[in-house]
Amino acid sequence: MLQVRRNRLWKFLTILILSAGGISLILFALNSKLDLFYTPSEMLEAEIQPGYRIKLGGMVKIGSIEKQGTAVNFLVTDFKKEVPVTFDGITPDLFKEDSGVVMLGYFLDGIFQAEEIFAKHDENYMPPELSLEESSE
Amino acid sequence: MIGEIAHFLSLSASALLCMVLIFNLFFAFAEEHANQLILSLKLFNQACWLIFISFGMYVYLAIIDDFSIAYIANHSNSQLPIFYKVTSIWSAHEGSMFLWIVFLTLWSIFFINFLKKDHPLKKLTLLILSLIILGFLLFLLLTSNPFERILPFGALEGADINPVLQDPALAIHPPMLYLGYVGFVVAFSFITAFLLHGNFQLQWEQDIRKWSFVAWIFLTVGITLGSWWAYYELGWGGYWFWDPVENVALMPWLAATAFMHSLFASSKSNILKTWTMFLGILIFALSLFGAFIVRSGIIDSVHSFANDPERGLYLLSFSGLITLLALGIFAYRLPQLNSSKLVVTGSKESFLSMNNILMMTAIFSIFLGVTYPLIIESMSGEKVSIGPPYYNTIFSPLILITSFFIMISVEALWQRSLPIRAVAYSVLPTIFFASISVYIIWIYTQIFSMLAYVGIFSGLLIFYSYFFRTINNFFKKRYINKGSAIAHMGLGLLFFSVSMNSILSYEKNINLFSGQSERINESIQEFMFKDIKVYPASNHEVISAEVFILQDQKKIFLNPQKRQYMTRGQITSETAIHATPLKDTYLTIGDQLENGSWTFSLKINYFVKWIWLSSALMVLGISIAMFKKKLT
Repeated sequence: MLQVRRNRLWKFLTILILSAGGISLILFALNSKLDLFYTPSEMLEAEIQPGYRIKLGGMVKIGSIEKQGTAVNFLVTDFKKEVPVTFDGITPDLFKEDSGVVMLGYFLDGIFQAEEIFAKHDENYMPPELSLEESSE
Repeated sequence: MIGEIAHFLSLSASALLCMVLIFNLFFAFAEEHANQLILSLKLFNQACWLIFISFGMYVYLAIIDDFSIAYIANHSNSQLPIFYKVTSIWSAHEGSMFLWIVFLTLWSIFFINFLKKDHPLKKLTLLILSLIILGFLLFLLLTSNPFERILPFGALEGADINPVLQDPALAIHPPMLYLGYVGFVVAFSFITAFLLHGNFQLQWEQDIRKWSFVAWIFLTVGITLGSWWAYYELGWGGYWFWDPVENVALMPWLAATAFMHSLFASSKSNILKTWTMFLGILIFALSLFGAFIVRSGIIDSVHSFANDPERGLYLLSFSGLITLLALGIFAYRLPQLNSSKLVVTGSKESFLSMNNILMMTAIFSIFLGVTYPLIIESMSGEKVSIGPPYYNTIFSPLILITSFFIMISVEALWQRSLPIRAVAYSVLPTIFFASISVYIIWIYTQIFSMLAYVGIFSGLLIFYSYFFRTINNFFKKRYINKGSAIAHMGLGLLFFSVSMNSILSYEKNINLFSGQSERINESIQEFMFKDIKVYPASNHEVISAEVFILQDQKKIFLNPQKRQYMTRGQITSETAIHATPLKDTYLTIGDQLENGSWTFSLKINYFVKWIWLSSALMVLGISIAMFKKKLT
């Protein structure tokens, strides 16, 4: 009887330790691989390390889009602060001035280097933070 | 008028289902009456038929352009071809939910009528199916009524379907996917009925095997079609984005795959029975979770429908209720279910259960990846997103270990320990393929990628194991499980081609004036932008570029386009793809710059065809396995 119980305890402990180990590995992966979302003012305040991957969301400033060869430069704003962005490639069909944009990339030498620009299927899309502020104003 | 009749029929169907439930719950625990089941079945069948007829009328309304129905007015247009008028029904929430319910009903009516007349589980299964259909029908009618009229006057013209959805692959992608999702209602209801019934001598595996296999096939085809559509229509050159909505489709797929495997062990030797039941319940629960994620709009994704807390709350409560009930009964019966047989270490079952555990880990990780941003946001208010890097990190070790178990299990036997020589046999191929993979990575990439390495190695290993075994058994005239071999070779090919795709593919952005040409690299000797044309088409205006490419001494002409749709003013890009067995030349046109030149994005994507092929192989393998008489 005692032997059976001891065996069961060991089994239980092994399963517990293994699953705890597994879950902490997954959580570790989650925490190291997640992309934080910022608006331009939040990003400038947060002092992000250069080269650290983040998501930046805001509105494309009117009249700021400039195209040179395959590069696209523009300003992204949250109506308080603005950040210059550079992107190499073809922008999504819904990318235009005075509309919402979300980008994945990193901040380097005062310029946000966008690696991906996300196309939203809804042409009236705005990052949630901005639409909240706009409606409260 | 037809709209009202269709609406009334749906309401009557829910009333009939209510009657089935009330009638049975009042008499279920009293003495069994002979006609009780016959009557319930009749009512149930009539309810199902009412739903079908109601949907048929709805399709008719869409075809005749009845724009007094709000949903049709918002999503269809009189200019559309009839095919897209019909498919516009499932282009948004209300209509697609209707289709979802129609499929749910379809699976239920088929299954319940195919079940033997005096099957002891028939009545309970019928009740569970009625409850589920009723719950979703009420959800449709109460929170998202597709029959709603625009009063007093209807719209003159419809608002049109989103142009990116006007595509044959996307038109059949949702029906396939839904057929897969709801198909697992069969396994769910039957297992729950078995647990409720309490006679554990009954066999249930054979009755739901084929149904689950068919559902799996639909799910796989549905996911593949979606991925294929994204590849050629969205113009990003990718086929899988780890988007939350893709993830919620992958979870039931993984659970269903694990379920099919353990179903073999369960019916063969009575072990893993409880585990199989748990999986059977889990698949449908995950499908419902998926419906909740997509339809509540809780997660921002390209697929999600409009944000509606009321719908989300209803779906979450009802799905949660069903799942908790099933799991509750399962937990209650668990002590009585424990089989005395133990899994023999080194037997086929042992490897199978190891891979089951790994698939559960994968499901759990995806689940965390989908819900973690929500958890973080509600706790700290910080907005985060989980992208491909997380899934890549999680999946490389899982795939590696899985492939080892798959390789060894090819040699393993049911219920007997593995002979040592089988392990010895696998040492050589492992070393061989590990070195080949290192070699491939070494030649083609600058940066070592763990995931690509693992993918190539595992893919080759799995493919080789089954291929070798099949050839070997064929010559020795021994039994080959063809279905399993083909499906697993498909899996190996999938790992291999996805990894090769990720290391070989590259892209180049090009900026040229009309008539100008450029040399890209060794393989693409010339890229010439010949001309650009603008012309009107039926409901849109086309900007079409003519591009000539000299690639590997072959002449290729491509016509990437941009379309501006008149009704919505929306712009879409049409990718031009030149496909060879090994690689796709994939070209999209960008914008015109102020100086008059145009930008292009050229992507060379390797092994994309092979990814679709591997999915087709898996479907073929499972189809073969399905038509076998018995589980072997």
